[in-house]
Amino acid sequence: MTDAGFVIAGWVITGVVLLGYWLSILWRIRRGERSEP
Amino acid sequence: MSEPVSMGEGLMSPVVRRVFGVLALFALAALVVVGLFVAPPDEVQGDAQRLMYIHVPAAWLAYLAFGVTAVSSALYLWPRTRSFVWDRVAGASAELGVIFTGLTLLLGSMWGRPVWGVWWAWDARLVTTAVLFFLYLGYLALRRVPAALDVRAKRCAIAAMIAFVDVPIVHFSVTWWRTLHQKATVFNPDLNAEIHGTMALALWIGVLAFTLLYVYLLDLRYRLEVIEEDREERELEAAIADRVQGGMASPETVGVGS
Repeated sequence: MTDAGFVIAGWVITGVVLLGYWLSILWRIRRGERSEP
Repeated sequence: MSEPVSMGEGLMSPVVRRVFGVLALFALAALVVVGLFVAPPDEVQGDAQRLMYIHVPAAWLAYLAFGVTAVSSALYLWPRTRSFVWDRVAGASAELGVIFTGLTLLLGSMWGRPVWGVWWAWDARLVTTAVLFFLYLGYLALRRVPAALDVRAKRCAIAAMIAFVDVPIVHFSVTWWRTLHQKATVFNPDLNAEIHGTMALALWIGVLAFTLLYVYLLDLRYRLEVIEEDREERELEAAIADRVQGGMASPETVGVGS
């Protein structure tokens, strides 16, 4: 892999991890609210 | 779109949280532009240097997140300031710290392969950072161990303060030991930053973007902590009610036949 390949992969993975974490929090909040009586 | 009631039980109002979210988004967009297109490639490392604009901010945010966890834990343990708010902040911040530490390790490894020629080295900075990652994974696991809220909060606060001892060890590892990892570029003993121009700009935008994102996510994660606590309490009460009902029906419990 070229230097640019490592850079793109690193930045994309970071974006996916942060986006995924944000969505997981939102999803867990929604799920928690749905289970409220 | 209206937000449910529990979304309001955060550290800040939903409006302020949204402002932080929007600012974080703009700062992240600026980071992409400056870090990938404006800053020049490094004279020695070439384009691989561009990974530093997210690797270093991720590492600093891990320090910040674990620092907030440690301070919040201390405030929980101190009788005068004891409040479950601090326990929730500690838990929320620790989870964010684990995410940022994980990114730090991953990005460092992806930078190490083209620059050092290896994905991993048994280097003091790398090993102490990996230890930090696993210490706080253990802390998050401890928060999942079923217990009364006050018992859990106290044991987790103590664990968080013990785990934080590793943070200065990580930071000073490059000066205490001879390491493959480079010494501090910005927060070195002379406080003489060895990065300038658009490269420094990209780094500082990265720090700003990740800090704004941290504040936004901390508030969101705190709200989740409140919801999960409520659910745990309801489940505990339901379990106690079941046990009491079952006990009432059981001849042994009510003393029939003794």
